[in-house]
Amino acid sequence: MLGQLLHILAAAIVSWILFVTVDVFFRLPEAGGVSGASAIARDIEAGGGALSGGTMMGNIVCSPDASAGTLLAACGVYVAGIPGGLVAAALVFIGNRICHDPGYAGTTGAVLATFVVYGFTQVGFAATDFIAGMVIAILTIQGLSHAHASRLLARLWRVRQ
Amino acid sequence: MIALYLVAAIAVFAAIRATVEKNTGRKLPYVNVMNFAVAGAIVLLLDHPLALVAAAAYFVGSTLEANAIASTYAGGERRG
Repeated sequence: MLGQLLHILAAAIVSWILFVTVDVFFRLPEAGGVSGASAIARDIEAGGGALSGGTMMGNIVCSPDASAGTLLAACGVYVAGIPGGLVAAALVFIGNRICHDPGYAGTTGAVLATFVVYGFTQVGFAATDFIAGMVIAILTIQGLSHAHASRLLARLWRVRQ
Repeated sequence: MIALYLVAAIAVFAAIRATVEKNTGRKLPYVNVMNFAVAGAIVLLLDHPLALVAAAAYFVGSTLEANAIASTYAGGERRG
């Protein structure tokens, strides 16, 4: 029980690092992909947050990004191994196009996450640890404190620049 | 099993926060967390290859809805 909780916690940290790195690399904090993402960013800034971090959070809401890619890749690896993860990447690609997103953060994140999750399943982790871990990781960004999360993302974005 | 309970608890938590939050722009990230949790729960409940398609369909559909709500809230798409 405690061992599994620790696995989920470790998976959450790995997922967090993976999706934030891919999203920042693909310049999600730079500009809103759709007008709705910019509106969310403005509201987060009005609530005491940082604009660039809010923009990334708005982009995560409006189109499947690397976080969604990581979640669905973990789901894919759980139900069908590496082929399942790659199918998830294809579904994320279709999702990006449906959501009017010109980027490839989601697809790249899903492909990377497929191999990361599969690698961890070879050393004692379960793919379910990564499903729960990714939900915890997105909770820390989108669901606890928008002001603090957006300021942290803005700081990472300044490092990237 | 513990992963499923954890994910379900986060879904409920996010749904409550989305209900309590009054500002639409700040409400949508909470809904986003709930969508992540529900998509994860679908696969954790149904260990079948098609569960992945169901989760992806749910997730992409709900993301598109959030996108539409946010863009309407922003005053629609600006062209040119």
